[in-house]
Amino acid sequence: MKKTLIATVLLAVVAVSAPTFSGTAFADETKMVGVINKITLAPDGKSAVAVLKDNKTGQDISIFIDDDLTLDKLKDHRIVEGDEIRTKYEPEGEKNHSKSFLKTAGC
Amino acid sequence: MNTVSKGVLIALMSSGLALPMAAYAASDPPPTNAELMKQIDMLSKQIEQLKNQVKANEDKTTQDTKTATDTAKKASDKVDDLKRQVVRDEGKAINNWLTIGGDYRFRVDSLGGTTQPFTDVFATFANAQAALQGDFFSNPTGVSRYFGSMGMSTAAALSALSGFSSAMTGARTFDAAMAFLSNPNNRALVQGLGAFAQYTPAYKPQMDTLFTNRFGLDLHAKATEDVTVTARFLAYKIFGAQDDNAIVNGGPGGAAPFFADRVGVFDGTLGHVPSNSYLDVDRAYATWSNIGDEPIWFSVGRRPSTNGAPSNLRLDNPRPGNGGTPSILVDYAFDGMTIGYAPDIDALPGAYAKICYGRGFQSGFRDEPYPTNTVANTDMLGVAVLPIDTDPLRVWTQWNRGFNIFDAPQMYGTYFGNVGPTVDLGNIDWFGAGAMSTIKHVGVGNLNMFFDAATSITHPNHNVSSQFGFMGLMTGQFFQPEDPTSKMGWGIYTGVRYDLPTNTKLGFEYNHGSKNWITFAPAADDMWTSKVGTRGNVYETYVIQELNYKPISSYFSKAFFRLGVQYYDFQYTGSNDWVGAPMPMSAVAGQLMPMTPLKDAYDVYGTFEVKF
Repeated sequence: MKKTLIATVLLAVVAVSAPTFSGTAFADETKMVGVINKITLAPDGKSAVAVLKDNKTGQDISIFIDDDLTLDKLKDHRIVEGDEIRTKYEPEGEKNHSKSFLKTAGC
Repeated sequence: MNTVSKGVLIALMSSGLALPMAAYAASDPPPTNAELMKQIDMLSKQIEQLKNQVKANEDKTTQDTKTATDTAKKASDKVDDLKRQVVRDEGKAINNWLTIGGDYRFRVDSLGGTTQPFTDVFATFANAQAALQGDFFSNPTGVSRYFGSMGMSTAAALSALSGFSSAMTGARTFDAAMAFLSNPNNRALVQGLGAFAQYTPAYKPQMDTLFTNRFGLDLHAKATEDVTVTARFLAYKIFGAQDDNAIVNGGPGGAAPFFADRVGVFDGTLGHVPSNSYLDVDRAYATWSNIGDEPIWFSVGRRPSTNGAPSNLRLDNPRPGNGGTPSILVDYAFDGMTIGYAPDIDALPGAYAKICYGRGFQSGFRDEPYPTNTVANTDMLGVAVLPIDTDPLRVWTQWNRGFNIFDAPQMYGTYFGNVGPTVDLGNIDWFGAGAMSTIKHVGVGNLNMFFDAATSITHPNHNVSSQFGFMGLMTGQFFQPEDPTSKMGWGIYTGVRYDLPTNTKLGFEYNHGSKNWITFAPAADDMWTSKVGTRGNVYETYVIQELNYKPISSYFSKAFFRLGVQYYDFQYTGSNDWVGAPMPMSAVAGQLMPMTPLKDAYDVYGTFEVKF
């Protein structure tokens, strides 16, 4: 019983701390508003990279997009270079993975 | 030169001199120390000279390096300047801040219908005036041929008609109207009008070909960060005309119009009902987005409140996005403003809400203490909530209320002459909800579907419209006022469009309105009347064929043909008219009416359209 309890506690500790030891960092989401400078669709059409110029900092930020709804809009040219976008992304390794990619609301 | 250096130098010189000394050895005596010192001094001087030369060369190199570094820095600064200039010029480049687009449409319609028999009010009054004037001029002092039994002379009869019309305009409430009609003289004159009745039997109006041109010009400018200006100009004319007479059943001197929203062109329908070649302002508004770095916007001007979803499907337009109004509720170019908020909610992608306000009629100065302008401004307020807005699913809900609804918009040169608001009849509430979906890869193509439903609830005040025979807000018949009570109606609008890979789009739509259904959509792209306001059924089918050409002027450039058929089954009178009570079409049999009651109608149309 005692051994089982110790083993269970140890497993729980490992489980909770696993992300700390994982290769992927547990990062916060970042929101930004910026104008699209460049869109590059992958040849297989399953992803795209959009380079946005952050309205606040002026820095170019590359956003990796792989959700079908946004990819459809990119392919249909409903979102094009020059559009202002409000995006939410998570850094995942070297990529900024888009969680939300919408034209600025208005009108 | 220090002692060590001298010592080294002597050693070197000694070894170096050893060779020449070997030459001496054979024949000359060895040099003396003085001679050696002399040579050492000479060599020292040479070394010093060499050192100075090396230093000079080093200095020169340093100088050259400095010069090269300075030159490189200047070149680098110049490159940076050029880069900044390029960035500045790119920012100023017109295509970065101004977008120009538009559309052209040629349209041909073939229209036909069937009316019910009725008595034309306006023509009846015109007949009465003409007859009494003729009677007077032919017999200025004699007994009236028409009202002699009432003891009137020809002059008195003409004067009585004039007085009757004048007194009518002063009766603006239900009670005043009842008192007016209870007056024995007025009652007798109303009955006497029967002698001049313009009875129009049922007939089949037909217009085999109606050709129209429509040109639209769109501008979108990024004025500053987060502030844009958008404009749309529209010219819409009939071939061979600079007026709307063909649409309104002849205009002045013609026949009674069919529907209240096609009596003439007015403020909110300019550019949407064919009239003339003037380039009218359909939209012109400024939008301030990202207020406080939040997804909040404020927009003001002539609003994009026409041709909203789901009418974009049959018009082959893109979805309106955050802008626009549901076409079952509002299709009218309002001057107004919007405040909107689009929160980022993971479970509700694309969600947004907005409060919209519009002025439908500006009354002007209201004089006190001599009130001559008693008509209030007509305003519209609405709240729209769209919990989801994505391609697979778009859900909308909306409430809007019309305050101080006028009895007629301002129009000039109509069948009735110049008309305008003479009284406000009360308020109307509208509630609507709907959904639209685009599903890709259904069979070989993509399927678009929508279903919208709405209800209208009137809140009449006690006013009646004297220019329309004392009818109130959805109450009463001509010269038969009804104590105003609230009326509730409903409407539905549904349809599908299937898009094939061949750029062929097949569509079908159906809408139904109940007896008391009323909407605010006079700018809808329909020739007879706004189809979504029909009290009855409307069926429409169409096919769009886009030409398979590469777009050049913009990503959305295209050219296409559209062929369609509409069939209207009017079950009640007064579609799109909130003045007067609807009557079952089957019960219409010659009653006094301002409009021609159309029982059914069709419109076969074809277009060639270009969007750039």
